[in-house]
Amino acid sequence: MYPLFTTGMIDNNQNLLYGLIIGILFGIVLERTGFGSSKHIAPIFYFKNLKVSQTIVSAIVTCSTLIVIASYNGWLDYNQVFIPDTYIWPYLVGGILFGGSMVMSGWCPGTAVVGFASGKIDAAVFLLGLLCGMWFYFDIYDSIEAFANSGYLGRFTIHDLIGGDIYTSSYIVTVLLGAFLAIFMNTMKSIRDKKEKQ
Amino acid sequence: MNGKDGYWHPLISGIILGFVLFISFMVAGQGMGASGAFARISAQLTYLYDSAFVDNLYASKYLFNGNALANWTVVEIFGIFLGGYLSAMFAGRIKQGIDKADNYPTYKRLFFAFLGGFIMAGATRLARGCTSGQALDGAATFSVGSWIFMLAAFGTGFIVAPLFKKQWGI
Repeated sequence: MYPLFTTGMIDNNQNLLYGLIIGILFGIVLERTGFGSSKHIAPIFYFKNLKVSQTIVSAIVTCSTLIVIASYNGWLDYNQVFIPDTYIWPYLVGGILFGGSMVMSGWCPGTAVVGFASGKIDAAVFLLGLLCGMWFYFDIYDSIEAFANSGYLGRFTIHDLIGGDIYTSSYIVTVLLGAFLAIFMNTMKSIRDKKEKQ
Repeated sequence: MNGKDGYWHPLISGIILGFVLFISFMVAGQGMGASGAFARISAQLTYLYDSAFVDNLYASKYLFNGNALANWTVVEIFGIFLGGYLSAMFAGRIKQGIDKADNYPTYKRLFFAFLGGFIMAGATRLARGCTSGQALDGAATFSVGSWIFMLAAFGTGFIVAPLFKKQWGI
Protein backbone atom coordinates (compact mmCIF):
# COMPACT_ATOMS: atom_id res chain seq x y z
CA MET A 1 0.00 0.00 0.00
CA TYR A 2 1.21 3.45 -0.90
CA PRO A 3 2.43 6.08 0.10
CA LEU A 4 5.44 4.01 1.17
CA PHE A 5 6.61 6.40 3.88
CA THR A 6 3.34 7.25 5.62
CA THR A 7 2.27 3.58 5.68
CA GLY A 8 5.60 2.62 7.27
CA MET A 9 6.97 0.59 4.32
CA ILE A 10 10.20 2.63 4.27
CA ASP A 11 11.99 4.45 7.09
CA ASN A 12 12.93 8.12 7.30
CA ASN A 13 16.43 7.70 5.84
CA GLN A 14 15.15 5.75 2.84
CA ASN A 15 12.51 8.43 2.35
CA LEU A 16 15.19 11.14 2.31
CA LEU A 17 17.24 9.17 -0.23
CA TYR A 18 14.20 8.88 -2.50
CA GLY A 19 13.62 12.60 -1.89
CA LEU A 20 17.08 13.31 -3.28
CA ILE A 21 16.36 11.19 -6.39
CA ILE A 22 12.96 12.83 -6.91
CA GLY A 23 14.64 16.24 -6.59
CA ILE A 24 17.25 15.28 -9.21
CA LEU A 25 14.50 14.20 -11.62
CA PHE A 26 12.57 17.43 -10.93
CA GLY A 27 15.73 19.48 -11.60
CA ILE A 28 16.39 17.66 -14.88
CA VAL A 29 12.82 18.20 -16.14
CA LEU A 30 12.88 21.91 -15.21
CA GLU A 31 16.24 22.44 -16.91
CA ARG A 32 15.31 20.49 -20.05
CA THR A 33 12.10 22.51 -20.43
CA GLY A 34 14.09 25.75 -20.35
CA PHE A 35 13.19 26.93 -16.85
CA GLY A 36 16.85 27.47 -15.93
CA SER A 37 16.41 30.84 -17.63
CA SER A 38 13.87 33.51 -16.71
CA LYS A 39 13.74 34.38 -20.41
CA HIS A 40 11.64 31.24 -20.83
CA ILE A 41 9.49 31.98 -17.78
CA ALA A 42 8.62 35.69 -18.02
CA PRO A 43 7.11 35.51 -21.59
CA ILE A 44 4.08 33.63 -20.24
CA PHE A 45 2.85 36.89 -18.68
CA TYR A 46 2.89 38.54 -22.10
CA PHE A 47 1.32 35.54 -23.88
CA LYS A 48 4.49 35.34 -25.96
CA ASN A 49 5.10 31.66 -25.34
CA LEU A 50 2.98 29.26 -23.35
CA LYS A 51 5.72 27.03 -21.92
CA VAL A 52 4.92 27.65 -18.24
CA SER A 53 1.16 27.10 -18.57
CA GLN A 54 1.57 24.09 -20.87
CA THR A 55 3.98 22.41 -18.45
CA ILE A 56 1.91 23.13 -15.33
CA VAL A 57 -1.40 22.07 -16.90
CA SER A 58 -0.02 18.89 -18.40
CA ALA A 59 1.74 17.97 -15.13
CA ILE A 60 -1.38 18.55 -13.00
CA VAL A 61 -3.65 16.61 -15.35
CA THR A 62 -1.17 13.72 -15.61
CA CYS A 63 -0.53 13.50 -11.87
CA SER A 64 -4.16 13.89 -10.76
CA THR A 65 -5.26 11.24 -13.26
CA LEU A 66 -2.59 8.84 -11.97
CA ILE A 67 -3.71 9.54 -8.38
CA VAL A 68 -7.31 8.73 -9.30
CA ILE A 69 -6.26 5.49 -11.06
CA ALA A 70 -4.06 4.50 -8.12
CA SER A 71 -6.78 5.12 -5.53
CA TYR A 72 -9.45 3.39 -7.67
CA ASN A 73 -7.29 0.27 -7.71
CA GLY A 74 -6.61 0.54 -4.00
CA TRP A 75 -2.85 1.10 -4.41
CA LEU A 76 -2.78 4.59 -2.96
CA ASP A 77 -4.51 5.79 0.20
CA TYR A 78 -5.61 9.28 -0.89
CA ASN A 79 -6.40 10.19 2.73
CA GLN A 80 -2.72 9.74 3.63
CA VAL A 81 -1.53 12.05 0.88
CA PHE A 82 -0.44 15.41 2.27
CA ILE A 83 -2.53 18.33 1.04
CA PRO A 84 -1.78 21.81 2.39
CA ASP A 85 -4.64 23.08 4.58
CA THR A 86 -6.69 25.87 3.04
CA TYR A 87 -6.56 29.35 4.58
CA ILE A 88 -8.68 31.59 2.34
CA TRP A 89 -7.40 35.12 3.09
CA PRO A 90 -3.67 34.50 3.44
CA TYR A 91 -3.77 32.38 0.24
CA LEU A 92 -5.44 35.21 -1.62
CA VAL A 93 -2.99 37.86 -0.39
CA GLY A 94 -0.03 35.45 -0.65
CA GLY A 95 -1.07 34.65 -4.24
CA ILE A 96 -1.29 38.33 -5.19
CA LEU A 97 2.15 39.07 -3.70
CA PHE A 98 3.53 35.91 -5.31
CA GLY A 99 2.26 36.82 -8.79
CA GLY A 100 3.67 40.33 -8.55
CA SER A 101 7.06 39.19 -7.32
CA MET A 102 7.23 36.42 -9.93
CA VAL A 103 6.81 38.96 -12.76
CA MET A 104 9.22 41.36 -11.06
CA SER A 105 11.99 38.79 -10.56
CA GLY A 106 11.31 36.33 -13.40
CA TRP A 107 11.82 33.43 -10.98
CA CYS A 108 10.07 31.26 -8.47
CA PRO A 109 11.94 29.32 -5.76
CA GLY A 110 12.23 26.04 -7.71
CA THR A 111 13.22 27.46 -11.10
CA ALA A 112 15.72 29.84 -9.46
CA VAL A 113 17.60 26.83 -8.06
CA VAL A 114 17.97 25.49 -11.61
CA GLY A 115 18.90 28.99 -12.84
CA PHE A 116 21.53 29.25 -10.10
CA ALA A 117 22.89 25.83 -11.10
CA SER A 118 23.12 27.05 -14.72
CA GLY A 119 25.19 30.09 -13.66
CA LYS A 120 22.51 32.81 -13.67
CA ILE A 121 23.55 35.70 -11.43
CA ASP A 122 20.01 37.10 -11.25
CA ALA A 123 18.87 33.72 -9.89
CA ALA A 124 21.54 33.87 -7.17
CA VAL A 125 20.48 37.41 -6.23
CA PHE A 126 16.84 36.31 -6.21
CA LEU A 127 17.64 33.44 -3.84
CA LEU A 128 19.53 35.84 -1.56
CA GLY A 129 16.47 38.09 -1.52
CA LEU A 130 14.34 35.03 -0.75
CA LEU A 131 16.49 34.11 2.27
CA CYS A 132 16.44 37.70 3.58
CA GLY A 133 12.68 37.91 3.04
CA MET A 134 12.18 34.70 5.03
CA TRP A 135 14.12 36.22 7.91
CA PHE A 136 12.00 39.38 7.69
CA TYR A 137 8.83 37.27 7.79
CA PHE A 138 10.00 35.39 10.90
CA ASP A 139 10.78 38.75 12.50
CA ILE A 140 7.36 40.30 11.90
CA TYR A 141 5.34 37.09 12.25
CA ASP A 142 3.92 37.85 15.71
CA SER A 143 2.21 40.95 14.33
CA ILE A 144 0.56 39.13 11.38
CA GLU A 145 -0.06 35.73 12.98
CA ALA A 146 -3.82 36.27 13.28
CA PHE A 147 -4.14 37.16 9.59
CA ALA A 148 -1.83 34.34 8.48
CA ASN A 149 -4.23 31.84 10.07
CA SER A 150 -7.51 33.42 9.01
CA GLY A 151 -10.15 31.74 6.84
CA TYR A 152 -9.03 28.28 7.97
CA LEU A 153 -10.85 25.36 6.30
CA GLY A 154 -8.43 22.49 7.00
CA ARG A 155 -7.87 19.79 4.36
CA PHE A 156 -10.43 21.11 1.92
CA THR A 157 -10.88 19.64 -1.56
CA ILE A 158 -13.05 20.47 -4.56
CA HIS A 159 -15.35 17.54 -3.75
CA ASP A 160 -15.66 18.79 -0.16
CA LEU A 161 -16.83 22.10 -1.61
CA ILE A 162 -19.32 20.93 -4.25
CA GLY A 163 -19.98 17.32 -3.28
CA GLY A 164 -19.11 14.12 -5.11
CA ASP A 165 -15.79 12.29 -4.80
CA ILE A 166 -12.27 12.46 -6.24
CA TYR A 167 -13.63 11.44 -9.66
CA THR A 168 -15.79 14.59 -9.67
CA SER A 169 -12.78 16.70 -8.73
CA SER A 170 -10.56 15.03 -11.31
CA TYR A 171 -13.12 15.65 -14.06
CA ILE A 172 -13.52 19.33 -13.10
CA VAL A 173 -9.76 19.94 -12.83
CA THR A 174 -9.09 18.33 -16.22
CA VAL A 175 -11.89 20.22 -18.00
CA LEU A 176 -11.07 23.59 -16.40
CA LEU A 177 -7.33 23.35 -17.04
CA GLY A 178 -7.84 22.00 -20.56
CA ALA A 179 -10.20 24.87 -21.37
CA PHE A 180 -7.84 27.40 -19.80
CA LEU A 181 -4.98 26.21 -21.99
CA ALA A 182 -6.82 25.39 -25.22
CA ILE A 183 -9.19 28.36 -25.22
CA PHE A 184 -7.95 31.21 -23.02
CA MET A 185 -4.17 30.97 -23.42
CA ASN A 186 -4.24 30.06 -27.11
CA THR A 187 -6.66 32.89 -27.91
CA MET A 188 -4.57 35.43 -26.01
CA LYS A 189 -1.45 34.22 -27.79
CA SER A 190 -2.97 34.46 -31.26
CA ILE A 191 -4.29 37.97 -30.48
CA ARG A 192 -0.76 38.91 -29.44
CA ASP A 193 0.82 37.29 -32.49
CA LYS A 194 -1.57 39.21 -34.76
CA LYS A 195 -0.72 42.51 -33.05
CA GLU A 196 2.95 41.83 -33.47
CA LYS A 197 2.62 41.27 -37.22
CA GLN A 198 0.94 44.65 -37.74
CA MET B 1 12.06 14.98 -28.01
CA ASN B 2 13.90 18.29 -28.41
CA GLY B 3 12.20 21.17 -30.20
CA LYS B 4 13.85 23.75 -32.45
CA ASP B 5 15.23 25.66 -29.49
CA GLY B 6 16.91 22.59 -27.97
CA TYR B 7 14.36 22.17 -25.19
CA TRP B 8 11.74 19.50 -24.59
CA HIS B 9 8.21 20.27 -25.72
CA PRO B 10 6.44 21.70 -22.63
CA LEU B 11 3.48 19.32 -22.92
CA ILE B 12 5.86 16.33 -22.87
CA SER B 13 7.84 17.87 -19.98
CA GLY B 14 4.57 18.26 -18.13
CA ILE B 15 3.67 14.60 -18.57
CA ILE B 16 7.11 13.55 -17.27
CA LEU B 17 6.79 16.05 -14.42
CA GLY B 18 3.35 14.63 -13.62
CA PHE B 19 4.87 11.13 -13.34
CA VAL B 20 7.68 12.40 -11.09
CA LEU B 21 5.12 14.18 -8.91
CA PHE B 22 3.02 11.00 -8.75
CA ILE B 23 6.08 8.98 -7.68
CA SER B 24 6.71 11.58 -4.99
CA PHE B 25 3.17 11.15 -3.65
CA MET B 26 3.45 7.34 -3.83
CA VAL B 27 6.78 7.26 -1.98
CA ALA B 28 6.80 10.18 0.45
CA GLY B 29 3.08 10.93 0.64
CA GLN B 30 3.83 14.52 -0.32
CA GLY B 31 4.64 16.37 -3.51
CA MET B 32 7.77 18.30 -4.39
CA GLY B 33 8.40 21.64 -2.69
CA ALA B 34 10.87 24.49 -2.89
CA SER B 35 10.05 27.54 -0.76
CA GLY B 36 9.89 25.57 2.50
CA ALA B 37 13.55 24.58 2.08
CA PHE B 38 14.58 28.23 1.87
CA ALA B 39 12.54 29.10 4.95
CA ARG B 40 14.43 26.35 6.78
CA ILE B 41 17.85 27.44 5.45
CA SER B 42 17.13 31.03 6.50
CA ALA B 43 16.01 29.89 9.98
CA GLN B 44 19.10 27.70 10.38
CA LEU B 45 21.51 30.49 9.33
CA THR B 46 19.89 32.93 11.77
CA TYR B 47 20.05 30.30 14.53
CA LEU B 48 23.80 29.85 13.97
CA TYR B 49 24.34 33.54 14.79
CA ASP B 50 21.72 33.82 17.49
CA SER B 51 20.68 30.71 19.39
CA ALA B 52 17.83 32.65 21.06
CA PHE B 53 16.15 32.52 17.62
CA VAL B 54 14.96 29.04 18.53
CA ASP B 55 12.14 30.83 20.42
CA ASN B 56 10.96 32.77 17.36
CA LEU B 57 7.21 32.30 17.03
CA TYR B 58 7.40 31.03 13.43
CA ALA B 59 10.88 29.50 13.14
CA SER B 60 10.58 27.47 16.36
CA LYS B 61 8.63 24.80 14.46
CA TYR B 62 11.73 24.29 12.26
CA LEU B 63 14.33 24.62 15.01
CA PHE B 64 12.85 22.65 17.89
CA ASN B 65 15.53 19.94 17.58
CA GLY B 66 18.32 22.37 16.66
CA ASN B 67 18.52 21.32 13.01
CA ALA B 68 16.04 22.78 10.55
CA LEU B 69 17.84 21.15 7.61
CA ALA B 70 17.08 17.50 8.43
CA ASN B 71 13.99 17.62 6.27
CA TRP B 72 12.64 15.99 3.09
CA THR B 73 12.19 19.24 1.13
CA VAL B 74 15.71 20.44 1.99
CA VAL B 75 17.21 17.19 0.67
CA GLU B 76 14.93 17.36 -2.38
CA ILE B 77 15.96 20.97 -3.18
CA PHE B 78 19.59 19.83 -3.11
CA GLY B 79 18.52 17.20 -5.66
CA ILE B 80 16.93 19.91 -7.83
CA PHE B 81 20.23 21.79 -7.82
CA LEU B 82 22.15 18.62 -8.69
CA GLY B 83 19.72 17.55 -11.43
CA GLY B 84 19.60 21.07 -12.87
CA TYR B 85 23.39 21.31 -12.85
CA LEU B 86 23.94 17.91 -14.50
CA SER B 87 21.27 18.54 -17.10
CA ALA B 88 22.65 22.00 -17.97
CA MET B 89 26.19 20.61 -18.07
CA PHE B 90 25.34 17.81 -20.51
CA ALA B 91 23.39 20.28 -22.66
CA GLY B 92 26.31 22.75 -22.60
CA ARG B 93 24.08 25.41 -21.08
CA ILE B 94 26.11 26.41 -18.01
CA LYS B 95 27.03 30.00 -18.63
CA GLN B 96 27.51 32.81 -16.19
CA GLY B 97 25.18 35.66 -17.06
CA ILE B 98 22.08 37.68 -16.29
CA ASP B 99 18.73 37.07 -17.95
CA LYS B 100 17.45 40.43 -19.16
CA ALA B 101 16.93 42.50 -22.29
CA ASP B 102 20.31 43.55 -23.73
CA ASN B 103 19.72 47.28 -23.24
CA TYR B 104 18.24 46.98 -19.72
CA PRO B 105 20.51 48.25 -16.91
CA THR B 106 22.09 45.43 -14.88
CA TYR B 107 21.67 47.15 -11.50
CA LYS B 108 17.93 47.54 -12.10
CA ARG B 109 17.53 43.90 -13.10
CA LEU B 110 19.42 42.70 -10.01
CA PHE B 111 17.46 45.10 -7.78
CA PHE B 112 14.17 43.66 -9.03
CA ALA B 113 15.50 40.11 -8.69
CA PHE B 114 16.37 40.78 -5.05
CA LEU B 115 13.16 42.66 -4.24
CA GLY B 116 11.09 40.00 -5.99
CA GLY B 117 12.76 37.31 -3.91
CA PHE B 118 12.27 39.32 -0.73
CA ILE B 119 8.53 39.82 -1.32
CA MET B 120 8.04 36.26 -2.56
CA ALA B 121 9.43 34.87 0.70
CA GLY B 122 6.55 36.34 2.72
CA ALA B 123 4.09 35.38 -0.02
CA THR B 124 5.11 31.71 0.21
CA ARG B 125 4.82 31.71 4.00
CA LEU B 126 1.30 33.18 3.84
CA ALA B 127 0.34 30.72 1.09
CA ARG B 128 2.14 27.73 2.67
CA GLY B 129 4.02 27.05 -0.55
CA CYS B 130 4.97 28.24 -4.01
CA THR B 131 4.50 27.08 -7.60
CA SER B 132 5.64 23.58 -6.57
CA GLY B 133 4.34 22.93 -3.08
CA GLN B 134 1.10 24.81 -3.44
CA ALA B 135 0.12 25.21 -7.12
CA LEU B 136 1.33 21.87 -8.54
CA ASP B 137 0.92 19.56 -5.53
CA GLY B 138 -2.31 21.08 -4.29
CA ALA B 139 -4.01 21.26 -7.69
CA ALA B 140 -3.03 17.66 -8.47
CA THR B 141 -4.60 16.54 -5.18
CA PHE B 142 -7.76 18.68 -5.68
CA SER B 143 -7.14 21.23 -2.91
CA VAL B 144 -9.39 24.31 -3.09
CA GLY B 145 -6.70 26.51 -1.49
CA SER B 146 -4.33 25.85 -4.39
CA TRP B 147 -6.88 27.24 -6.81
CA ILE B 148 -7.28 30.40 -4.73
CA PHE B 149 -3.47 30.74 -4.78
CA MET B 150 -3.07 30.00 -8.51
CA LEU B 151 -5.84 32.34 -9.64
CA ALA B 152 -4.53 35.16 -7.44
CA ALA B 153 -0.91 34.61 -8.49
CA PHE B 154 -1.38 34.27 -12.24
CA GLY B 155 -4.18 36.89 -12.32
CA THR B 156 -1.89 39.42 -10.64
CA GLY B 157 0.98 38.35 -12.87
CA PHE B 158 -0.96 39.17 -16.04
CA ILE B 159 -2.13 42.50 -14.58
CA VAL B 160 1.25 43.83 -13.42
CA ALA B 161 3.29 42.37 -16.31
CA PRO B 162 3.28 45.58 -18.40
CA LEU B 163 5.20 47.34 -15.59
CA PHE B 164 8.18 45.05 -16.14
CA LYS B 165 8.03 44.76 -19.91
CA LYS B 166 11.30 46.61 -20.53
CA GLN B 167 13.17 44.18 -18.31
CA TRP B 168 12.64 41.41 -20.85
CA GLY B 169 12.54 43.49 -24.02
CA ILE B 170 9.16 42.00 -24.85
